[in-house]
Amino acid sequence: MIEKLKSNWRLTLLTVILLVSLFMIFSPTMAPQTNVGGENATTGDRLTNLQYGLDLAGGTRIRAPLIGMTAENVVIGNESPTNVAAAVANELPNSDTTDVTVRRGTINGPTVEAVDPNVSEAQFGEALGGAGYSYETIRDGLTQETRDEAINVIEGKVNQAGLSGASVQQVTDGTGFFILIEVPGQDRSDVIDLIEQRGNVRIDIYHDNNGDGEYVTERAVLTQDDFASISNARQPDDRSPNPRVPVSIRQENSIAETFQSSVVETGVAQPGGAVCRYEESPQNTDSCLQLVVDGDVINSFGMNGDLANSMRTGDWARSPSFVLTTTSFEEAQEIAINLRAGALPAPLAIDQGTTSFVSPTQGENFRTDSLIIGILAILTVSGVVFARYREPQVAAPMVLTAFSEVLILLGFAAYLGYPLDLSVIASFIAVLGTGVDDLVIIADGVMAEGDVSSNRVFSSRFKKAFWVIGVAAATTVIAMSPLAVLSLGDLRGFAIFTILGVLVGVFVTRPAYGDILRNLLTKR
Amino acid sequence: MAQLSVPTVDYTQYSNRQLVAVPLALLAVALLVIGGWYLLTGAPANLGLEFVGGSEIRIDDPGDNAAQQIETAFSAQPDSVRQIAADDTYILTFSEGAVDTPDGGNQLSVLEQQAEAAGFSIQASSSVSPSFGANTQTIALGGVLVAFLGMSVLVFVMFRSIAPSVAVIASAFSDVVLPLAMMNLLGINLSLGTVAALLMLIGYSVDSDILLNNSILRESGDFYESTSRAMRTGVTMTLTSIAAMAVMTVAAYLFGIQIMTAIGIVLVVGLLADLMNTYLLNVSLLRWYVNRGVNA
Repeated sequence: MIEKLKSNWRLTLLTVILLVSLFMIFSPTMAPQTNVGGENATTGDRLTNLQYGLDLAGGTRIRAPLIGMTAENVVIGNESPTNVAAAVANELPNSDTTDVTVRRGTINGPTVEAVDPNVSEAQFGEALGGAGYSYETIRDGLTQETRDEAINVIEGKVNQAGLSGASVQQVTDGTGFFILIEVPGQDRSDVIDLIEQRGNVRIDIYHDNNGDGEYVTERAVLTQDDFASISNARQPDDRSPNPRVPVSIRQENSIAETFQSSVVETGVAQPGGAVCRYEESPQNTDSCLQLVVDGDVINSFGMNGDLANSMRTGDWARSPSFVLTTTSFEEAQEIAINLRAGALPAPLAIDQGTTSFVSPTQGENFRTDSLIIGILAILTVSGVVFARYREPQVAAPMVLTAFSEVLILLGFAAYLGYPLDLSVIASFIAVLGTGVDDLVIIADGVMAEGDVSSNRVFSSRFKKAFWVIGVAAATTVIAMSPLAVLSLGDLRGFAIFTILGVLVGVFVTRPAYGDILRNLLTKR
Repeated sequence: MAQLSVPTVDYTQYSNRQLVAVPLALLAVALLVIGGWYLLTGAPANLGLEFVGGSEIRIDDPGDNAAQQIETAFSAQPDSVRQIAADDTYILTFSEGAVDTPDGGNQLSVLEQQAEAAGFSIQASSSVSPSFGANTQTIALGGVLVAFLGMSVLVFVMFRSIAPSVAVIASAFSDVVLPLAMMNLLGINLSLGTVAALLMLIGYSVDSDILLNNSILRESGDFYESTSRAMRTGVTMTLTSIAAMAVMTVAAYLFGIQIMTAIGIVLVVGLLADLMNTYLLNVSLLRWYVNRGVNA
């Protein structure tokens, strides 16, 4: 028995690998770990451990670049990054410090990034010069650090919004970097709404405190980092007629105190409180707090008398809680998500990338459809092979061997947790095709010129046939490798699984078929 | 059961020139078609949405008077409307800029709103920006070139003599060019799936050529014996692949799975071209190479 297993070691190996693959596919102990989105990832099914991609499960995929440019090796001496950013932003038209990022210690020395899409490379260069910083080059694109930060922020937003099973990663097409966001089961427009804003939340004060009739805006009295805790968005109720987000302000570095005194000085916290009429008559209103997201005023509101009094006495800063009111509950939810996840360090240019959406029902249809196509392909191949050889003991193992390649690939997919999509299924069919091709070469090569009397004759013929297969496989691997490396849209899966299939074929299944043939032929 | 037997060709009846004439003539026509396409349209093929940008939307069958309903629902005329009978849906494509978008909004988002307003349910949708598409074009072209060069180098290293290597490479070149020209003539757009298929074809098509070369140059027997032996095997395997791919193409077309249709159709046409190129072009080049001492 052992002897037999040994002399047929290729066949034994195939059997073992097949069993492992089936274990990977079906065993509940190998069930997939949950994804970035946490709890119940909905992309798999219950019968197998296979993960389905968006084509087959439904969902939204967005691939978009981050907008911005980077000045490298900027000479900033010992200045603090915050000061440098402020100085450069000051020289740029309509830019805030949130549009300028300064980093030390990147691989290209100190860098300054500008992310306002309306700023040209020349303007950025002039601004750096104007602020007194020399630099080596300005290039399109951002630093890896900024891209990582953007990925974290998007993951945060997706998680805060409760979308499970989502994944956010960076991909490259060789010329630039893109952020790839995949959210199962979610509509395209919902995902776009969630991520298209940078989500820079700040509070401005709109006031005419010196009484000359000219209203001014004091910008950014509170910014993203000044919030200590953010509660969930609340619906309007009897305590307040508006949807709102309760927040509290940080006390360290006297952030709360500074805010308190600004509010008092600008007259928002005037005795008895302030009533904001910014919407109706901006030239005739008490001072207003304004909630600003990405430079757009979302809502303007005043302050009630109690809060105003506690600010005036200075009590408020000792327990600085506060309520941001909005005009709709959706807005309140967005604000809460933006405050918690933070702002994107650079805008995501969705209209410079690609988006795709497949509805869950369509995904289910594609799943059945591709199963039918796969079965049809196997039947066709079997039909041709049986018609050609007319000997079931040659043809049947051929079909089974080719099919086992597909099973092993499925096992790989289950093991890697690689999401199956249409292009991966197409690669299975392509592998089935090349697999059978090579088995035909082996069968014909070994059976040519009459009987195979001895193991020695068999081996020499098998080796000859195998040379052809090896070269053909190497060509396929070389031809597909550009696709596997470059992120050409959705074709990476096709390339990766075709290459895997060819390798499995050459090293495992096709030699095993040789063993089967040898047993059949040398016995006669 | 039907019986498949590979026909034997009596190559002794034809001169090398006669054998080479057909594939070379077809290759020349294909190159003319592609060249002409390039001169007329600025691209060697009909570039699909993935390369030029645009929007695509798949909606549930709106029921009666579908064509009219679709026309009134959208503010722009779709470039193409295709009905998928298998699951009662329609696939509509719009070129980029077909729809007015308020302040730089996304075209597909506007189209989705219009579809929903008209009561269609959206089964799938996708958009590609023109700049991304242009990028994809460059990468795809680069990918095909790298793959082809890599294959050529490998073939040279394996055979270590010029004529047989050139025979394989010429045949592979023609295998890629013929389906491309055919797609132009059939009005099929070049998509990412097509590019994958062309790359696959580079790998797929050379195995019958390598088999032939190997059989003639490395194994015993005279030229015609070796050729017919290689042909028996080679034709079987190419036909098997063609059958599998043809089935995939037809089924995927009926189900409206575009990426599989594209991959399938290119492989079918390319493998058919490969049959011709291997057993006319490659055979005659090898016969010339093997007999070159005799006739000189």
